[in-house]
Amino acid sequence: MKLEALPWLILFLPLLAAGIITLFTLRNKAVSAALSIGAIVTGFVLTLIFIKVNGFAGSETALNWLSIGNLNVDFGLKLDALSLMMLLIVTGVGSAIHIYSYGYMHEDPAFSRFFACLSLFTFSMLGIVLSNSFLQMFIFWELVGVSSYLLIGFWFEKASAADACKKAFLTNRIGDFGFMLGILMIFTVAGSLNFSSIKDQLVANPTLLGGTATLAGLLIFCGGMGKSAQFPLHVWLPDAMEGPTPVSALIHAATMVAAGVYMLCRVFFIFTPDALTAISWIGGFTALLAALIAVQQNDIKRILAYSTLSQLGYMVMGVGLAAPEAGMFHLTTHAFFKALLFLGAGSLIHAMHHEQDIWKMGALRKKMPVTYWTFMVGTLALAGVWPLSGFFSKDAILAAAHHHSLPLFILAVGVAGLTTFYMFRLVFVTFFGEAKSHDVDHAHESPGVMVWPLRILAVLSIIAGVIGIEGLFSEALKPGGEHPHGVLAQLIYPFQHAPVAACSGLAAFAVGLFAAWKLYANAKSDPLPAKLGGLSRAMANRFYFDELYEATVIRLHDLISTISDWIDRWIVEGFCLGLVRGGTDLTGRALRLAQTGNLQTYAFLFVLGVAVLLWFVLGK
Amino acid sequence: MNLSLMSLEISVVVLGIVVLLADLWMPAERKRMLGYAAAAALGLLFVNTFVGQCSCNSDGTTAGGMFIQDAFSGFFKRFFLLAAALVLVLAVEFSDRIAAGVSEYYSLIIFALAGMLFAASANDFTMLFVSIELITITFYVLTIFTRGKVTSLEAGVKYLILGALSSAFMIYGIALVWGTTGKFNFNELAAVSSQFAENKLFLFGVLFILVGLGFKIAAFPFQMWTPDVYQGAPTPTAAFLAVGSKAAGFVLLLRFLFVAIPSVTAHWDKLLIIVSAITILYGNLCAIPQRNLKRLLGYSSIAHAGYLLLGVAALTGAGQAAVLYYLGGYLFTTLAAFAVIAIAMRHLDSEDIGGLAGLHQRSPLLAATLTIAMVSLAGIPPLAGFFGKFLLLKAVIEQGATNHGYYCLAFTALVGVVISLYYYFGVVRAIYFSKETPDAPPITMSLPAKLVIVICLAGMFYLGLFPSKMLNLASEATFALGLIAR
Repeated sequence: MKLEALPWLILFLPLLAAGIITLFTLRNKAVSAALSIGAIVTGFVLTLIFIKVNGFAGSETALNWLSIGNLNVDFGLKLDALSLMMLLIVTGVGSAIHIYSYGYMHEDPAFSRFFACLSLFTFSMLGIVLSNSFLQMFIFWELVGVSSYLLIGFWFEKASAADACKKAFLTNRIGDFGFMLGILMIFTVAGSLNFSSIKDQLVANPTLLGGTATLAGLLIFCGGMGKSAQFPLHVWLPDAMEGPTPVSALIHAATMVAAGVYMLCRVFFIFTPDALTAISWIGGFTALLAALIAVQQNDIKRILAYSTLSQLGYMVMGVGLAAPEAGMFHLTTHAFFKALLFLGAGSLIHAMHHEQDIWKMGALRKKMPVTYWTFMVGTLALAGVWPLSGFFSKDAILAAAHHHSLPLFILAVGVAGLTTFYMFRLVFVTFFGEAKSHDVDHAHESPGVMVWPLRILAVLSIIAGVIGIEGLFSEALKPGGEHPHGVLAQLIYPFQHAPVAACSGLAAFAVGLFAAWKLYANAKSDPLPAKLGGLSRAMANRFYFDELYEATVIRLHDLISTISDWIDRWIVEGFCLGLVRGGTDLTGRALRLAQTGNLQTYAFLFVLGVAVLLWFVLGK
Repeated sequence: MNLSLMSLEISVVVLGIVVLLADLWMPAERKRMLGYAAAAALGLLFVNTFVGQCSCNSDGTTAGGMFIQDAFSGFFKRFFLLAAALVLVLAVEFSDRIAAGVSEYYSLIIFALAGMLFAASANDFTMLFVSIELITITFYVLTIFTRGKVTSLEAGVKYLILGALSSAFMIYGIALVWGTTGKFNFNELAAVSSQFAENKLFLFGVLFILVGLGFKIAAFPFQMWTPDVYQGAPTPTAAFLAVGSKAAGFVLLLRFLFVAIPSVTAHWDKLLIIVSAITILYGNLCAIPQRNLKRLLGYSSIAHAGYLLLGVAALTGAGQAAVLYYLGGYLFTTLAAFAVIAIAMRHLDSEDIGGLAGLHQRSPLLAATLTIAMVSLAGIPPLAGFFGKFLLLKAVIEQGATNHGYYCLAFTALVGVVISLYYYFGVVRAIYFSKETPDAPPITMSLPAKLVIVICLAGMFYLGLFPSKMLNLASEATFALGLIAR
């Protein structure tokens, strides 16, 4: 392998940028932004150079980090098609979002802090991608948790943002706890935390993990469940939209939430068939649930957030259906078009003076043509229209579902229809019809620094399906499988390989589009609540999951904490510590009484001491 | 008699006399310079021990075996020289509060230093007693030097009477030991001491000698004088008492226990454990309610005598090396604390802790120094106090297999450390978190005083972060003495 130092540089440049910004350049906006953007763009360029020189061949570099007893922990980088591709996504999409942020956040007083957090996040995310062991991945996993906490709560003076970042962090911690248990379980059996060495052991001895294999796999999946916001830990993601919109694009579309799926693919060899079935159903259920909720949301970012949830469910389902390459493929295309949609939404919000309600927009098609066209591309890609990227990746998952499980296939097709429906609902209401508020009259296209990232991402959203990404993942995750070469072959491959899935997908799109057009083409207000009644209310209220958790988990937790607080305050602190502390204090004060200041007493005690000493040594 | 072995002691005594004589011709306003000159001379002597020809680097005995020069005494002589040089600078800072006879104050410090140097080389009872008396009697005068203050007078009288009492016990003990064995020299005594290990009269004498030494190091139950004397004595005196006098006690104690009567000492692990444990607890517990900073340091000095006794009680070379190391850290830490008291509290009548309020605004350097000194006394990394305590505890725990009492002792020491955190941080709290911060002007200090502060700070950090060099010196010192016990 040539240019071995490059991956290290790519990983640590953003950390360096974050450090310098925090320590030195907080007051200087331009330098801060230049450092942060420079770090990630350099990372992107270096990644391209590295791939150009070395190709996607797998390799690993490691430094010994610490050794305790016979536990040796390396700090290493795993470089194979999976991680290099992911590296490209994170640095590439990340670069676009960093540049966009320069325009979007320009008036924010804490501009430099924003870029410091962004760079810290990039560092953590790259760390996950490049990790070669569970321990290292877990550390960066937690770092991602921390940096996303900082970013979601960036406007911490808003109570809702402060609550949202807390919620995101705590919900993720629950998943991480399971993740850690899973890691410990695997470590006790395999005696190693390195991915390659665990894989080698499992290949040599498939029953290594014995009866606990399924449990270990599911515990590991818990980590992914938290980060990728799968049911029942999905509640944090929509709230996390309180962060600035570029953050939503970066973290909650392209990178952080993808970490869970990436991790599942990285350690795919661990999962037993039973574990995979459970994973696929959780993914499928999440996809359906989130799609249903998205139908009745009115906040533009929340619609996109639930759409993200739903697509993450798709990816997880893909992994669960033993098609990790399909999951990763969808992750990649989704990173492009969902980042595009979020940035487009940001552009709208920016133009509308931070108005996020779609029912106050409308008719923005003419005012903001670039945003409109790029948003349209993103929507079509997300809806899975041939020949845009989303079609191919969604088709790969549908094909896997069709191959393995009929119920999941039907569910997935239904979700595809719902996806088209809610996305076109969004498009029709915001861009078409009449202006629904005065802000629309003053809206104008965003500056170049914001629309250029949109254009680039739009191009990627169109072509990402046919430039060989799927083949790359197939080779990395399922060596030996057949996959098409050349653009033309890739364009028609789905119809040859799995015609039922491809046609069902397109049919779902048609149905969804028709329904959306029928209901929302010229609507001034939402007609669905009247038609669906209670169901609509349930959807709008996210099926009352937050309320349910509030009433059960949080209430229980409050109770336990009240009891613990009482025990700590009165028994530990008051009785035990109080006794020790009071006793010590009292002894001190009592002993002080011997120190009378009276010389005769001193002399007497002195002689008494001598007498005791003599008795102790000689008298016994 | 080979006087060249004593050249260091002789030059110190000559320096003392020169200072005393120079006073006659020195105009009053130049007397400040005299102190600095004396301190500089001692500093030069100290540096000379490392780079030049110094008697303290040679080996041998003289004066008929009374005076021994080896690496062990060399280690302590460097210690005393450095301590005295730093204390002299403090004394100059303090001189405006001494009514008359400032130069005598300086020269008495130098004479006390001479006593300590002789103590480091004492190898028989005559030298032991004479050097102790030289130290103690000069300290009587040093304690009482601010005659105008009642507390100073009171402290001096108490120290005098109790000191005389302990000297009486000691001389009686020496007489008994001589009476039973007929030996004065430590090496000769060592050869016969095992025959007397069961002789009660002999043990009686040995214990009386230990009473005298216990008084010097302020070990329980002979610690009563410490807080009163520390509180009343002028600050430089208290500083020298805490560092120099205590170390002189330890150098004699170590040589007496492990050179003169090793076969008796080997059976006294239980006694030493108990004395050490009680001393630690007594010092720390009594310090809790103290409001006077110097009194608090007096109790803390008792507690530290207890910690140092840990290393003695371990009865191993590692323990003794730990004692030496700990004393090194204790020197910088204690002198730093007293230096801050001398400089920051000079305008106050009493050294009440409340007087520290607002110190961090008046002089951030002094506030930081006192804080670091307190943290080091409490034994928190990365400062000298931590590593010293670590070595002491390690030495004790290593001996745990032979006697489980050592585990109890280590536990007691840890309890003592926890208690001490409370009152040491009380001082830190007073500096930074006092409610009413007086609008006092910034504190100015002279360049030499600043130098002392910086040396103490550097010493605390150096010994805490890079312990190996000092540890080598300490190990060599104990090794040279052949103290690898049992």
